[in-house]
Amino acid sequence: MSVPLLEACGLTKRFPGVLALREVKFELQPGEIHALCGENGAGKSTLIKLLSGIHPHGSYEGEFRIDGTPAAFHSIRDAERAGIAVITQEFALVDDLSVAENIFLGRAPRRGLRVDWLEMHRRAARLLADFGLAIEPETPVRQLGIGQKQLVEIVRAIDKKSRVLVLDEPTAALTEQEVAVLLDHLRRLRAQGTACIYISHKLDEVFSIADRITVLRDGASIATLGVRDATISLVIKHMVGREIADLFPRRPAAGPGTLQLAVHRLNVAPTPGRPAWLREISFELHGGEVLGFGGLMGAGRTELLMHLFGAWGHRLGGEVVLRGQIHARPTPRDSIRRGLVLASEDRRRYGLILEQEIGFNLSLSSLRQFTRAGGRIDQPAEQIRNRAFFDSLRVKAPDQHARAGGLSGGNQQKVVLGKALMTEPTVVMLDEPTRGIDVGAKLEVYELINRLTAEGKAVILVSSELPELMGMSDRIIMLADGRIGGEFARADFSQEKLLAAAMGRAIPSAA
Amino acid sequence: MNAKLLKNLAMPIALVAICAFFAFREHAFLGPRNLTQLIVEFSITGTLALGMFMILLTGQIDLSVGSGVGLIGGIAAVLVFQRGWPAPAAMLGAFVAALVLWTLMGALIVRQRIPSFIITLGGLLIFKGLFWLVIQNSTIPVARGDEDNLYSLLTTYYLPARIGLGLAIAVAVALGLIQWRSRAARAAHGLPVPPVADAATRWIVSAAAVVGLVVVCNNFRGIPLSLLILAATAVTVYFLTRHTPFGRYLYAIGGNEEAAVLSGIAVNRVLIGAYALMGVTVALTGFMTTAYSGASTTTVGDLMELDAIAACVIGGTALKGGRGTVWGVIFGALIMTALLNGMTLLAVAPEIKFIARGVVLTLAVWMDVKLGKK
Repeated sequence: MSVPLLEACGLTKRFPGVLALREVKFELQPGEIHALCGENGAGKSTLIKLLSGIHPHGSYEGEFRIDGTPAAFHSIRDAERAGIAVITQEFALVDDLSVAENIFLGRAPRRGLRVDWLEMHRRAARLLADFGLAIEPETPVRQLGIGQKQLVEIVRAIDKKSRVLVLDEPTAALTEQEVAVLLDHLRRLRAQGTACIYISHKLDEVFSIADRITVLRDGASIATLGVRDATISLVIKHMVGREIADLFPRRPAAGPGTLQLAVHRLNVAPTPGRPAWLREISFELHGGEVLGFGGLMGAGRTELLMHLFGAWGHRLGGEVVLRGQIHARPTPRDSIRRGLVLASEDRRRYGLILEQEIGFNLSLSSLRQFTRAGGRIDQPAEQIRNRAFFDSLRVKAPDQHARAGGLSGGNQQKVVLGKALMTEPTVVMLDEPTRGIDVGAKLEVYELINRLTAEGKAVILVSSELPELMGMSDRIIMLADGRIGGEFARADFSQEKLLAAAMGRAIPSAA
Repeated sequence: MNAKLLKNLAMPIALVAICAFFAFREHAFLGPRNLTQLIVEFSITGTLALGMFMILLTGQIDLSVGSGVGLIGGIAAVLVFQRGWPAPAAMLGAFVAALVLWTLMGALIVRQRIPSFIITLGGLLIFKGLFWLVIQNSTIPVARGDEDNLYSLLTTYYLPARIGLGLAIAVAVALGLIQWRSRAARAAHGLPVPPVADAATRWIVSAAAVVGLVVVCNNFRGIPLSLLILAATAVTVYFLTRHTPFGRYLYAIGGNEEAAVLSGIAVNRVLIGAYALMGVTVALTGFMTTAYSGASTTTVGDLMELDAIAACVIGGTALKGGRGTVWGVIFGALIMTALLNGMTLLAVAPEIKFIARGVVLTLAVWMDVKLGKK
């Protein structure tokens, strides 16, 4: 083999109280796409920050070489000069400037003191065309979709003569079609000799694009595998450090429980005076059951959950009966008191008080349980209950006094779930409970769902990932454009039927 | 660790530096007479700041309290002096007025979803106008003739030395008991308990501070009644913010209002409650500050909203909400009061005083923004 483009040896990085990287080994060949896999908190981001100069030389132990010579980056600029470009989920694009201005940001072609606009647009147009992008150079970046923005960033990185592209979760926000375009471009760049470090939670995507995979766990490099010799389950095994027999371990509850929630011909508008958005929705939910809701973006899944919970929309008609009681015009407070909780999909926006401690968040919805005479909170009792949830959900943090904002996505999700469950609900609505969290944490969420239904609680699960929805639901309702597009028992689950229902097409008769 | 220690010590150091500066320029600054006066002024600013603290915690603001202080003090003064009401009845009447006004203002803010900045800016002007209407642009004494009443005594009554000392000892003992009981409760539940030495040190320091304060006051005329009002307010606000669901909700709303709603918090009710409590502290402050100047005049309460906000922010309360402590507010109020009192003692020209106040407020907010970014 030739001299590696980038070679890291024995990299160790310490933060106060945490060993973020331990003796990490990593190697990147020219023209190679090398995937980094690992659970949240495994050290992927730290490694990237080290290679890109964000953690400067001297703040870590060990060394890495570029073309065989030791690198000592003191800033991002040093790394850029050496040809390493990092593209993260937070775009480094200026929304108000045009695509061309963004590509040449800070290095616009000049004629004397003036910016040479003609030259800039000409060069930008050529770059975009080379890349097969049908974007006008004068378009303001604001008007681009997320996928196009990502591609513009890549174009910029390429034009800066970057030899190593670092892509951190590049497809998290992309549609399937955009993902395909992006992967095509990466393959083309690989053919031209550009190397790429690719970080993604989506393993099937990793397997379709990467040449090799390095797995990180708890800050250590566990294994480097060639994709041809590896399987998804082998990678997962390395990531979590244990074998996973079944990705979706749904254990249906013993038998049908009592009726918990009945929704009859529900019609809901976003605000009074607007036409209905959710139309003629009817379903029933029993104890011990997981009812899955699927559908395309904007089908109304989140809105339905938020409405049942009392946080969205204006009801035009229909009836909701929660445990035998009419549930009309509720507030979230009413819902929680009647045993209906919602764990929202947007944890940071709707779920947590990030600045406060984990314990503060866990008990926030349940303070009534600890309030004694005179309105005083019995803090020892509260902390014991918090600790019980903290332990049973296996939140990874020193203790319940750590700040919620400092947790990784999966651990934040556990706190959100803990907060909902501490209210002792009987109906639990989970909106995308596994979005953006790693495989190990996903499994824990699935186990939690099993535990809830075994206790006789009813669960509503919203998920955009069909395999997850099919794996964990006892019954699935697909929403299409605010209506029920189809309802399926577990025996009838198939991706084709569910997708057809999601797109509002007639369901092929199963007879 | 060192940075954290420095952050915790920044306020005491600033306070000591300010006091040292003024004491050096004018020895009377630390004299018993001026110290007692400073304590009365501190009680007034501190009480208002504690009300403001709860508003700021939720991420809201109240710019109307300065005018409100004048108005409520003025209503009580008019009832006593012109209508001949007994002082307690007059103060009760004005107190109810404050409670109603601030509850209405809070309801307006949450129900109509109008930013509190605008509503209370309107309140600032409306209350100022009402105030001047009530006292008809004149000077209304808080008592008839030379006789004393409850109103005038608010800032002129001092606890006899012995009673003050007895009270201090009782408070010191109570502090020890509370600490001991909370330790016992934690231990009984199997929760970690801080080392005995830490707890003992904390108790000795706080007990010494309380007794020392009384000894200093007794050098002049004793503990001012107004300090007791501040202490009662501080204890109440401390209990509310640290030990009740209401307090948790204040922090939660300021931290993330949307998440607070989805957590089942009756956000509107909590916000109206915070404004109602603001009304209570406005009334207390109105009575004290009017009594302190001896009569209700058109300038009573001027710019006090800014002193209260500055005290909170200096004490580490975040303007965007969700962060702050009662102790910080108390220290912030002490720093503001020491500055104003010292400048008055040195006969600094009013124009310079305005500029100094502005600089302090700006610096405090600048620090708040810097800290908020971390």
